[in-house]
Amino acid sequence: MKWQKELGGWLLASPYLLSAVLFFLIPLGWSISLVFFDWNLISPVRTYIGLDNFREALSSTRVYNAFLNTYKFMAIIVPGVLVSSLSLALIVHHLPRLKQFYAVGFFLPYLASGVAIGLVVRGLLAYDSPFNEFLRQVFGSSPRWLRDPVWAVLVIGFMIIWKFSGYYALIFLAGLQGIPRELYEAASLDGAGPFTQFRKITLPLLYPAFYTVLVLAVGLCFGIFTEPYVLTGGGPRFATHTWQLEIYYQAFERFRAGYGAAVAVFNALATFISILIIRRIVEAWGARRGFR
Amino acid sequence: MSKNLRKKFALVGLYLLATCLLLLMISPYLYMLLQSLAPWREVDRVFIPSSLGLHSYRWLLGGGLSTLPRPWLRAWGNTALVTTTVTLSRVLVGALVGYALAVLSFRGKRPIQNFILFQMFYPGIILLVPAFLLIRAMGLYDTYLAMILPGLVSTWAIFMYANFFRSIPREVVEAARIDGASELRIIFQIMIPLARPVTAIVFLFLFMERWIELLWDMIVVRDPSKQTLNVLLATMFGPYGGYPGPLYAAGVLLTFPIIILFLLFSRRFVSGVSLIISS
Repeated sequence: MKWQKELGGWLLASPYLLSAVLFFLIPLGWSISLVFFDWNLISPVRTYIGLDNFREALSSTRVYNAFLNTYKFMAIIVPGVLVSSLSLALIVHHLPRLKQFYAVGFFLPYLASGVAIGLVVRGLLAYDSPFNEFLRQVFGSSPRWLRDPVWAVLVIGFMIIWKFSGYYALIFLAGLQGIPRELYEAASLDGAGPFTQFRKITLPLLYPAFYTVLVLAVGLCFGIFTEPYVLTGGGPRFATHTWQLEIYYQAFERFRAGYGAAVAVFNALATFISILIIRRIVEAWGARRGFR
Repeated sequence: MSKNLRKKFALVGLYLLATCLLLLMISPYLYMLLQSLAPWREVDRVFIPSSLGLHSYRWLLGGGLSTLPRPWLRAWGNTALVTTTVTLSRVLVGALVGYALAVLSFRGKRPIQNFILFQMFYPGIILLVPAFLLIRAMGLYDTYLAMILPGLVSTWAIFMYANFFRSIPREVVEAARIDGASELRIIFQIMIPLARPVTAIVFLFLFMERWIELLWDMIVVRDPSKQTLNVLLATMFGPYGGYPGPLYAAGVLLTFPIIILFLLFSRRFVSGVSLIISS
């Protein structure tokens, strides 16, 4: 009886164990040795080069650009997506009917493939597109969009904000629905206007949702790949270059497996440390204000 | 009276705002659809085409450019095949392993749980290159299995199911056992039916995620007849640049099936998302 129970547990867990060994532990072990070698993926010769891959990555302007751009994207995406998703959630929350309809509608961008939306953005921003014709008629000129280092970052940031707003709005919406109505009624009896109520009740009680969205949005910025891959290739002049583009380029276009893996380690470190710092800051800020 | 009226106006305004925002949010899809149906000389030149037709789709399904023919329809099939296989497996394995971790008691359960958490928080990007090397070493490079095998198990799905099964009273399982039901029977006839809200949300999210995967599929498959539609479309930005109409048609083929699937299941969706957040 006893061993049957044991066996049953292991048997049911075995698909996971199998995949964890094969596609997690083995690559994990492999990645540890890989980063110390210079290897082009094909040749039988692998040269042990110690920490050279890391040294090269640290002094590479490509990696530096990817590192810096992540924070550029973050500066646009995080505030943008926070404001837009909270606004969408507030609107849906205050609709007496059809909440579900609008919430589902706002979520639809999340389903978009960055590739397919890349087509639309490329078409809309092409020099002789109706959108640019319109801009030229009204303002006399149109930006160079994806060929301008500032606009390119903004456009890609905006695509990502568009994609995730409706999803994060659902997180805020769940938070809003968890706030007891009595709080607003009591505040209103005390003479608090809608604006004060929003500041003193809604915002503090939304803190957990805010925290979740913030951490998700920050993490997101470290994994940007599809949009710049199809639209800018990381340009112009590396303005939209990202960690994943760099790893893909080094490992699978220049076939530098060890170096690509080393860059990936730096990517993971940067992600981990940045999220840790931002979490600390937000937690400290929340604690000072008495949020939880 | 006037206060009531003002409230009504505010409400109309709110619905107006919500509808405008909704149209704005889905406008890229509408643009894609209209451009895929537009006459070729009007694609990306006007917002509303003067006439609509299926010529872009016909061109696409006929194989595309004669100098650079591509199996567009087959690519759609590849996407559907890979996504369906992977997602079904992820859901099934998620339920089985989730049940083992939440309900059964066996030695090794604790370490497995901890290991799953470790794997969930381990940065996957570090494993990209070695996982590719492993696939190649297994002789799976440029095969469907390369896209399918590494994705058959999702730690997130396991986590979601385990969380849900933990919330089910133990008496349910005990009673079934006393009636002589086997564990597998309990899983398939009691637990999985109970877990329908979880299944809906897990299935949808995993399906959507896999449907638009780009990086991995691009790395492990080069043969155009095995590429997914997303990869094929991504590689055609340059060479098919002069044929935006058909590319929009391919975008519609890629995007609209998943929107329709989502809308079919969306009734349970909004309430289901709170399941994700709470865990």
